Amino acid sequence: MAKKIPITRISKFFGSEDFSLEQDIGMEWLHGDMHFTMVLFRVDKKLSDIDDVYGESGQEEIRYHPPVEFNAHVEIADPQNKSYAAGLVNQMEPGNMTLNVYIKHLDELGVDISYGDYIGYPETETTMRYYVVTNDGRVTSDIKHSIGGYKAFYRTILCSFVNENEFKGI
Amino acid sequence: MALPKKNKKNLNITPLPVQGHYPYGYSGIVTPNRREELSGLIDEHGTMLPKSVLHADLDRGMLDFVKDDLRTSVSGKKIPVIDRILTLQRWGEFSETWSFSDKDKNVSLPFVVVVRKPDVQPGSNPSLQYTIPDRRQFHYAKVPTWDGNRKGYDVYKIPQPVPVDVIYDVKIVCNRMRELNQFNKVILQKFTSRQAYTFVKGHYVPMILSSVGDESVVDTEDRRYYQQNYQFQLQGFLIDEDEFEVSPAVSRVVTLIGGEDRNSKENKAVTLKSKWEYDNLSGSTAVTKTYVTKVDLKIIRSSNIVADGYTIYINGVLVSGPLMVPKYPPAMVRPNDSVEVRIVKLVPTDPAWISFQEIVVR
Repeated sequence: MAKKIPITRISKFFGSEDFSLEQDIGMEWLHGDMHFTMVLFRVDKKLSDIDDVYGESGQEEIRYHPPVEFNAHVEIADPQNKSYAAGLVNQMEPGNMTLNVYIKHLDELGVDISYGDYIGYPETETTMRYYVVTNDGRVTSDIKHSIGGYKAFYRTILCSFVNENEFKGI
Repeated sequence: MALPKKNKKNLNITPLPVQGHYPYGYSGIVTPNRREELSGLIDEHGTMLPKSVLHADLDRGMLDFVKDDLRTSVSGKKIPVIDRILTLQRWGEFSETWSFSDKDKNVSLPFVVVVRKPDVQPGSNPSLQYTIPDRRQFHYAKVPTWDGNRKGYDVYKIPQPVPVDVIYDVKIVCNRMRELNQFNKVILQKFTSRQAYTFVKGHYVPMILSSVGDESVVDTEDRRYYQQNYQFQLQGFLIDEDEFEVSPAVSRVVTLIGGEDRNSKENKAVTLKSKWEYDNLSGSTAVTKTYVTKVDLKIIRSSNIVADGYTIYINGVLVSGPLMVPKYPPAMVRPNDSVEVRIVKLVPTDPAWISFQEIVVR
């Protein structure tokens, strides 16, 4: 077992009990009141069929772990109006998605979100939008991701929209 | 007047080329050994046709070249190479680098990565440039066929390979100057003559070192590391199996040979010998024989026969004898003729024989 170092920062005002309390209050608000639910599709990098030169897979050759529902704080940027050929071949796409997810929540689910995984966001009853993780927020060393510098408690995950040619759910 | 001493008196105007395999020079008729060897590499483990060489094969050839020919070790530890051309597929990146990643899933230094520029340009290799218009098919090989009944051969044709230039950036990222130095040394030694070759499906594909660039981050406040970029231009070519053409040539050959041992000018004669024998009875003075070929009969020698003591009858008609003028004209025998030779013996109670030369008439 790895050696553990006690965190004694701001211990006069804040400790592990306070940290847990704050975290639980936040999770209750996010998961209970907000309840933004998403589906995480984790790529199974061992079972996916990749080629020898590029390490690429075709759409039907990617294997996934079982999908997992999770809750997060969601921000989706404005849709982007683009074109492929200098003003021609118009392309209207959803903007990037930013998720803030509790680390404890991921630990409880027993999952990790990695670079390149896919996330489904049910926009309406009939429309599911899919995004790919472009920054898995694995490094949470900054103070912003902690409670007063005590310990990190959430990850910020950046995602960009993918069209059905790349991923369309399982 | 004597010749000046410095003049060469025996000047060899046909000097022999120095070629081990061809001591008397290459004849231009047989296939040179080296070319046969190269052709064997191309055809190896497959059909009589070359295998396709497409973009992915060239990329694999480049990766193998970096992995094997530019292999670099520092202090006994090999600098790992990401053995894939990295693409847009994000998750695929980690699947190639996990073996030397840290706990944050970042790639550990040092490492070497090959990045291909996505745009593949028309080739600059002069031996393949714009030499043949369209996609004309050219003879590559004749392959014998046998379907159990008929013998023949197929003609394999392929078009001229398509020359392409592929640009690769081979980057080394490291923390120590000694790693840079070592990698730099390996590359410059390899490209002393500007070019090196990678081996793709039996073909030697040349590449040249285009440039060496430094992208090191030597900033006061950020993490420092060295990053150098070696840009290579692979002067490859594309061969596509789908463009090959296999067509039957001659499906059956019937060769009829009429043998004739002469030519019309010389008219060489074919001669045979025949010996006609008579037994020791005094009445044995005539022998009959039926011919199937057209011959002229001419006596060679005889035994126990008086001089001018034989006559030849064909189908009962005297054709050659001592009383004819001239004496003993050649007896011309046709097929199915019955030839009778009558003799007069010296000693009637002894056996006799007469030998004829049979000149076959065509």
